[in-house]
Amino acid sequence: MFAYVVKRLISGVLVLTLVSMGIFLLFWFGPSSPAQPICDRETSNRCTQEKLAVYEKTLGYNNPVYEEYGKFVKGVFVGRTLTIASNEYPCAAPCLGVSFRTKQPVKEELVSRIPATFSVAIGGAFLYLLFGIPIGVAAARRRGTVADKALVSSFLFISSIPYYLFALLTWLYLTITFEVPLFSDTGYFAITEYGPFKWFSGLFLAWVALGIFGCTQYTRFTRGAMVEALSEDYIRTAKAKGLPSRTIVYRHGLRAALVPVVTIFGIDFGTLLAGTIFTERIFEIQGIGWWSLEAVQGRDLPVVMATALFSAVVLIISNLLVDVIYSVLDPRVRLS
Amino acid sequence: MSADTAGPETLGSLSDEPQQQDPNSQQAKEIAGKSPMRIALGRLAKDKIAVVCALVVLFFIICAVFAGPICALFGVDLVTPLASERVDGLNKGLPKPEMGPPNGPFTWDHPMGVAPRTGEDNLAYWLYGCRVSLLIATTATIFASIVGVVIGLLAGFLGGTVDKVLSFFIDMFLTIPFLLAALTMAPIINDRFNTADNYSTIQKVALVIVLSIFGWMGTARLIRGEVITLREREFVQAARVMGMPTSRILFKELLPNLAAPIIISVSLMLPTFVALEAGLAFLGIGVTDGISWGQTILKATNLTFFREYPQYLWQPLLGIVALVLSLNLLGDAVRDALDPKTRR
Amino acid sequence: MHVAGDAVLGENKKERLDSMKRNKPLALVAGAALLTLAACGGGSSDDDGSNDAGAEKTFGGQEGGSKDPERQGPAEEIADATAGGTITVYLPGDPGPDSLDPTGGWSVTGNSIQQALTSRSLTQYVRDEEGQPVLVPDLATDLGTPNEDYTEWTFTIREDATWEDGQPVTAEEVAFGICRSLDSEAFPSGPGTEYSKAFFAGAEDYEGPYTGKDPKCEAWDGIAVDGQDITISMAVPFPDMDYWGAFMAMGPAPLGNASKPPNYGNQPLANGPYKVESYKPNEELVLVKNDQWSADSDPGRHQYADEFVFKFNQDQAKVDEIMLSDNSDSQTAVSTALGSDKYTDANGQLGERLVQQTSQCVSTLTPDYTKITEIEVRKALAYAYPYEDVWIASGEVPGVTRVPANGVMPPGMAGKVDFQVDGEQITYDPEKSKELLAEAGYGDEPYEITMVVYEVDPLAVAAQDQITKGFEAGGFSVKVIPVQESPYNIWLDPDNKVNKTLNLRGVNWCSDWPAGSTMLPPLLKGGAVYNTAGFDEASVNDEMDRINTLPLDEQADAWGALDEKIMTEYFPIIPTAFRNDLFVFGTKIGNPTGDGSIGAPNYKDLFVIQ
Repeated sequence: MFAYVVKRLISGVLVLTLVSMGIFLLFWFGPSSPAQPICDRETSNRCTQEKLAVYEKTLGYNNPVYEEYGKFVKGVFVGRTLTIASNEYPCAAPCLGVSFRTKQPVKEELVSRIPATFSVAIGGAFLYLLFGIPIGVAAARRRGTVADKALVSSFLFISSIPYYLFALLTWLYLTITFEVPLFSDTGYFAITEYGPFKWFSGLFLAWVALGIFGCTQYTRFTRGAMVEALSEDYIRTAKAKGLPSRTIVYRHGLRAALVPVVTIFGIDFGTLLAGTIFTERIFEIQGIGWWSLEAVQGRDLPVVMATALFSAVVLIISNLLVDVIYSVLDPRVRLS
Repeated sequence: MSADTAGPETLGSLSDEPQQQDPNSQQAKEIAGKSPMRIALGRLAKDKIAVVCALVVLFFIICAVFAGPICALFGVDLVTPLASERVDGLNKGLPKPEMGPPNGPFTWDHPMGVAPRTGEDNLAYWLYGCRVSLLIATTATIFASIVGVVIGLLAGFLGGTVDKVLSFFIDMFLTIPFLLAALTMAPIINDRFNTADNYSTIQKVALVIVLSIFGWMGTARLIRGEVITLREREFVQAARVMGMPTSRILFKELLPNLAAPIIISVSLMLPTFVALEAGLAFLGIGVTDGISWGQTILKATNLTFFREYPQYLWQPLLGIVALVLSLNLLGDAVRDALDPKTRR
Repeated sequence: MHVAGDAVLGENKKERLDSMKRNKPLALVAGAALLTLAACGGGSSDDDGSNDAGAEKTFGGQEGGSKDPERQGPAEEIADATAGGTITVYLPGDPGPDSLDPTGGWSVTGNSIQQALTSRSLTQYVRDEEGQPVLVPDLATDLGTPNEDYTEWTFTIREDATWEDGQPVTAEEVAFGICRSLDSEAFPSGPGTEYSKAFFAGAEDYEGPYTGKDPKCEAWDGIAVDGQDITISMAVPFPDMDYWGAFMAMGPAPLGNASKPPNYGNQPLANGPYKVESYKPNEELVLVKNDQWSADSDPGRHQYADEFVFKFNQDQAKVDEIMLSDNSDSQTAVSTALGSDKYTDANGQLGERLVQQTSQCVSTLTPDYTKITEIEVRKALAYAYPYEDVWIASGEVPGVTRVPANGVMPPGMAGKVDFQVDGEQITYDPEKSKELLAEAGYGDEPYEITMVVYEVDPLAVAAQDQITKGFEAGGFSVKVIPVQESPYNIWLDPDNKVNKTLNLRGVNWCSDWPAGSTMLPPLLKGGAVYNTAGFDEASVNDEMDRINTLPLDEQADAWGALDEKIMTEYFPIIPTAFRNDLFVFGTKIGNPTGDGSIGAPNYKDLFVIQ
């Protein structure tokens, strides 16, 4: 297992390298110079050709791309000092550079935006697990009844709507049309600064949207896995032994059914942690997803790089964790 | 966009219940005299939801294919009018009363009203938006499926180093944040082609390419898994022993047996791409010439328009929801029909 | 005014997401605005807003600013003003300044706040009864004394001005602050790069105290301090030095390391009636009373409210809701913008508390002077431009946020002449356009126009559709090249492959001070950076140079006359609109007015009604 984890980690590093190279190249050979945003910003949009040239020079845009990429990688491991025009910005390892729009250190801003994204992810995931799994189990136990059919088809209906439209409608109707009291001022309010209530009320609608939508899917997963598990031979054996149905369902059935659900959840949750662009965009939560959208639109190379690498790292780690957990939960699976 | 996740932020469910689907299992074969496809079709025809969904999809296809004649029938077109002829600049840019709702009674001149601010006819834009949506989703599905099938076949059948390398790329593409990549690539495509006369076509082609590049992994994984089980089966072994060339084994022996997983992945991809095309336009990339449901939604989420002219938002929104929903439900029915385990 | 990046997102929330944040530079309306460029047109005179449901808004007089060198502190009290309270200012879609360093500030937002409240300079503006800006002394005791040919200006620094720490503001510190403005690498966004560098003697070769490793500014001899007198030598005649003195860049800075950039920009030492309590870039700036400031030393500022809270990057839709709700939050609040979709509601509901302020800006289209050589064709373009339709499509309110323009100099500028090129306001008239084209010999087939559109902004695209429609009706054919970066980046780059194909560009330009010298030369002098028309006539260039040497009181009229002359004789640039800002004031904000010198709320004279 240890060897497996090491192997996966190596392949993860390779992925990160290729992804970062790809982004670097996209920007370096993109339509406008990577120095353009910082020049526009610093000169209040009076970036003339001469001024642009100064920025390009200090940012190393005149050097070969591999040299600059090398500097970037070196910065990640040992830190570096960045020069923009005549100002110097020391940047300790792991150095992700400074934003070309705000000149704030990227690493610090990344860290400062993590709580928002994590709040959304954890709250949303909590809600859909809390409702999704029990409802799925209940539906599986009553398989074939009218209630089950109604539930499954209505959930199938909801989960077939594109998520961003679902979230958009939630936001529009709950905050604009009905002006739900307390919850209509959506956004991320740090718990330390605004207190838990404001934090909760700002994120509530985002959680609800994620929760309802995720719940419909997890109900279906759980139900499917549960139906399958309950048709296994060992369940029949347990029934034959006369074990109480509660024990059969929860001790034996659910345990087996949860394995695939946990797998899907692991990857899902990783995606959420990596930044929820649509949720954050619609509910005005200034987390990683929002930040990355802003950065791409502002052609902010260091920030795009940082957010892409961040989400790649989160996904790689969550995939790995899922595999490891899977092997622990299901002894039939051997990692190799 | 990952084949393994069904989370909300992945825009659609590219995967279904985590059951193993194996349409080629013994059970399926035992039903005498009927091919699995015939059985599936028979099951579908009896599924009321599937039939309704198929009809809805057919309706959208008709709208897309005959957008021009339908527009002519209603006497509307895509031509931009002078804004002041149709909207009231001093009343928030909303349509004038004689243009129909929200400020006036329904009029056959503009059955779905006109857009605020520009006065463009909503029906015409809706019909052509439907065409763009289906066109892009269909072509992207075709390309992504081809790429996915080829890579899945190669990885699954050849195994060894090839499999390792291809699987690595599958994993890598699953790790790249799709939206970020698409957003970063849009300006590059623009810069390269913006002086071309057929820019809007190139833009759509580019969109199809981007969607395909990030959409093939699910199919590839599905096919790869399927091929790995198939390649140890007797008929493949036999073909090998007889000295059949690899390409022949791949395309003559394996491919026909992959029809079910391919149909399944297509049924998952189509609605995803419809949703994605509109989602990208909603974020401001993809189609930018205004003829796209997603772009209309983007314009219609202006709070004033939403309050006073919600139809403007609901028209494209219902289009997307109905199309994606029926494609999804239809796909679901197809998967059920192909799956020998389910008995309805 | 919209920003480049915002277009990507829904209009209701674009500002929030907008990455290129609105940071309006004074001289040039920033990227976003540019985009709108395509979207803003000149006005049509037949639309006089008579069908406007709400109250008719009128601008402060159009005669232009004046000067009062005699004005002394304390500033005249505002009628019924009361002290105390907190004023909250919402700045929708506006990220605010990156840094508070007075030397680096060159944006409407930053300068309007800091110059009014925290950072004094040689001169300043006050608002007179008619709402016109009047140039009065600030740290100097008068408006400065030039020599005969404006190559030397002397200012006497008053003795009673103090820093927030109680120390007096000395002439050396003022001289050092002025010297800092020459460091164009340390302050790339500073207005000094445009003015100090161009006009001050020896400035071109001096790299500045930081870049030039000259922390005491000893290597530059363009400035001399003698007691309280500061004398600045000019490389070329600079008659507008008194106006330039109203920029906070022409104010003091603590000597030595205390004011080293970039750190000084986070917590600059205040010398105005307010000081910085806390500052989070892009989020919030809190100003509190500076008890060391004495009203007697300041001819222009007041210190009524206890506190100012500026909230940057607000969401337009949300702020509109707050301001229209008149709840306790909004009563003592000010918003620096109103969503155009809210105009009808707000106009009916808010009355006087909705202030329409000319922003001293003009939107223009610039036909390439070397490619479109016939004046008839340039005029035909002006007649083929569907002004009102473009405004509507781009989300402006015709006659309110955009008004018809007759020349380059905006309303409120000294010397502006109310002329009309063709006797009456040019309006959309495709038939007239066709006639003009026929006159120029292009009657047979469409005249081809090539222009760019910022395709990321649906509003810009919609506006371009209207322009195309109008031009085609007027006998042109239009090739539109969609771009995804700021059009300025293309227009200003002579080597850009797209730029080379264009024959119609545009610029939105705002004045730095109410004098024609900040409008005409930057846009129409041969070789000027933002002269995207490429207009270059020797006689006009010479006239511009000549006006700079005229006596000060003759210059304003001379600029106005030149504006008329250029437009009637050459018509090199098509002014499509003068731009207006809308400010919203809460019910408990006293004296709701705009600052005509800069296009911002009149922070100096606001108070909370107790």
